[in-house]
Amino acid sequence: MPWPRLNVQGSLSGMVVLLAAIPLLFVMLNSLQLPFDKWLGLWDTRLPSLFWNTLLLAALVVIGCFILGVSSAWLIARRQFRGRTLALWLMILPLAIPTYVFAYIYTSLMDADGWLGNLWLMLFSNVSSIPDLYNAGGVALILALSGFPYVFLLTHSALLNSNPHMEEAARIHGASSREIFWRITAPLIRPAIAASLAMVTLHVLSDFGAVSMLRYQTFTLSIYLQMNGRFDYQSAAALSSILVMMALTFLVLERFFRSRQRYFSSSQAKTWHVKPASTKELCLIWSWLGLISLFAFILPIAWMLVWSFEAIMTQALGSEFWGYALNSLIIAIIAATICIIAALPIGLFHTRFRSMLSNLFLQMSSTGFVLPGPVVALGVMTFLLTMLPALYGTLAALTIALVIRFLPLAVQSQEAALSQLTPSIEQASRVHGAGSLETLWRITLPMMRNGMVAAWVLVFIDALKELPATLLLRPIGFDTLPVRIWIEASEEMLEVAAPAALMIVISTIPALWIMLRNTRQST
Amino acid sequence: MPSSRIILITALLVISAFAQTAFARDNAALVIYSGRSDKFVKPVIKHFTEKTGIKVILHTAKSTALLNKLRAEGARTEADLYLSNDAGNLQIGADMGLFKAIPENIAGVIPKNLRAPDNSWIGLSARSRVLVINTNSDNTHFIKSIFDLADPRLKGRLGITHSSNESFIAGTTVYLESKGEAKTRAWLNGIKINSDGEAFNKHSKIVAAVAKGRKDVGLVNHYYIYRHLDKSPNSPIRIVIPDQASSQNSDAMGVAWNVAGIAISKYSKKVAQAEKLVEFLISTEGQKLFAKLNREYPTREDAATAAEIAPLNTIKVADVPMSSLGRLRNKTLDLIEAVGLP
Repeated sequence: MPWPRLNVQGSLSGMVVLLAAIPLLFVMLNSLQLPFDKWLGLWDTRLPSLFWNTLLLAALVVIGCFILGVSSAWLIARRQFRGRTLALWLMILPLAIPTYVFAYIYTSLMDADGWLGNLWLMLFSNVSSIPDLYNAGGVALILALSGFPYVFLLTHSALLNSNPHMEEAARIHGASSREIFWRITAPLIRPAIAASLAMVTLHVLSDFGAVSMLRYQTFTLSIYLQMNGRFDYQSAAALSSILVMMALTFLVLERFFRSRQRYFSSSQAKTWHVKPASTKELCLIWSWLGLISLFAFILPIAWMLVWSFEAIMTQALGSEFWGYALNSLIIAIIAATICIIAALPIGLFHTRFRSMLSNLFLQMSSTGFVLPGPVVALGVMTFLLTMLPALYGTLAALTIALVIRFLPLAVQSQEAALSQLTPSIEQASRVHGAGSLETLWRITLPMMRNGMVAAWVLVFIDALKELPATLLLRPIGFDTLPVRIWIEASEEMLEVAAPAALMIVISTIPALWIMLRNTRQST
Repeated sequence: MPSSRIILITALLVISAFAQTAFARDNAALVIYSGRSDKFVKPVIKHFTEKTGIKVILHTAKSTALLNKLRAEGARTEADLYLSNDAGNLQIGADMGLFKAIPENIAGVIPKNLRAPDNSWIGLSARSRVLVINTNSDNTHFIKSIFDLADPRLKGRLGITHSSNESFIAGTTVYLESKGEAKTRAWLNGIKINSDGEAFNKHSKIVAAVAKGRKDVGLVNHYYIYRHLDKSPNSPIRIVIPDQASSQNSDAMGVAWNVAGIAISKYSKKVAQAEKLVEFLISTEGQKLFAKLNREYPTREDAATAAEIAPLNTIKVADVPMSSLGRLRNKTLDLIEAVGLP
């Protein structure tokens, strides 16, 4: 009798999806009100350049992330060398730095009196002036540096999880290393690379921090300016609906291509005998990884440390600072916890009762990720003000917005974990007389623990860095670290912005540690 | 099941923390949506609280975003006051009917052109759009007017902010209102060429670039120059207040102004306290604090300006009411976009 159970999970996920669809409904309702001639006006003036800017940026970032992420993942997974764990950490740590902090740090580093600007003037002052970051190249650099760890993480774990016997068999049959890579390894890790690049693309489409700091007109920035500079919600909504259409097309395409290439790894031993690196290789590996992490982590963190030191020396940090840090932690923990709970029915429904409806729910739950943060926030705000005014202005309002924004992260990790579980274990539990709740509690949840932890960590990190929704929906007087960074950076109060950025990085480290330990255990 | 227990415990912890922060806020305190930098507002507010015992919470963000929030919240807003760095925003808010008029007996001390016609907002401090020029630069002595910045002789030598800067937009609105669309469009085209299509993200960086000789001329708000001179008093820079009347040019436009100001939310439930705060901000004491903290012009005529800036009675200000900065903003934005400034 599958129907009653399907109803519980189905209706629960239906409720979550309804919540997640609030911003999309807001966008649709508002864009429908835009008169036709204004649509035409948008088409004539704004859209071509927005399409070009956004797609160009996405393409550049994808290329950058691919090069940085795949190369570093392959080196770390397939070579044994001194400092491998350190290298692993260095590749992941950029996740802790928000894009607006990256953008801000790089603009000040590349200033004529910044570290890099100074160096450039010393070396090339006769040849060219300091490169400008306020263009596609600059924004792509920032987003690639902050986005490649996603590609690294997924590719690295795909490399570790793939079955070594295939490569060994190929080697026995006389294949060269190059052939093995292109004919065995590459196809095996392709789904992981595709999935991570898709994630990077979605981040690019909805990024607000870097594009607004660097004033690069993508859809997201244009929507924000339309809303805030001109108070024109309808045009903003129209642009958002086009952006959503773009992102959904992209997602469907990605899923379509991924569904045609699915590889299952057997449950045999996956102990890798990793080739030790020769001294020459060691030098090459570390120069490449060192170069990546110099720009992606070491320079930014050094900048933060220097200015934080300055702040401590000049006592620029008041007691409020710790309040901001506490606020950030509180909201990130709440959002991550609620998010993984809310995501569970969707994952369960889709993996255990796959249907058109479950697929629709899965797609709908990702709207929070494809809509720009400011739009999600405004949608939630409008909904609460009209339907649930009692919640407005409380922490609950902010939590709802963050859960909507980051639900897809949790759903994805949980779905991946669930689809690796064979349903026969759950069926066995049921046969032995356990109820469905007991099965969930005693069998399913413990077995998908890694997926849950990964989901929690991913949401926690993103919520800790979240800016646009927090700016709009935080309760009165509730300032978080990102909000303070935003305010102080626009006033050039580096002494306050830098410690706040540093604090975000520090708070993220335990979460990353849990995630790393977690993946290590599972392999 | 350690993971589920961990989740449970965090959930409980979180809920208790949630409850604490949610109810911790002092409901008696005045809430200001502040679009100004905290460092200029906090000291003045502190004074006010010490004097009256009325607590104030500053909810800081970008002016425009806060106005948007105020509009969306409507009657549900918790804001008692709205503080903005730009008269344009204030007037747009007034036109949206978000504010409650401030009684004439309070607002009356501020000159009429520095507040809304219906007193729905009043200016607290004013700033002028002036030129900073490197004293060692050649061929800059001809610059007397803002429109000279479009002169081909300044090719590659001009520093401007990004065109989305509120002060830049407000300044352009003043020129548009005074000199008309054709002349302003030509001017925007000229400065686009002269700035090499490149823009600074901060006024302070323009002043620094001019001081170092990387640019010869910059268009900035006046106080950024004094801020720079505080740090490096011997910088080779001079200030030119543009478009002043002289023997050759008796009907000069005057320098463009913009004010930072305050409004009381229409839905404030603490109007009496809010009015008290406004009264304090435009008292001679409050005005002196503004003048000192950021070397802006007090809007109250009898309050003294900071010693180093040109006294108000010696300069000519463009005759454009501050309220038109809001009404003409979209027109200005369209013009700037059409020209395609960075």
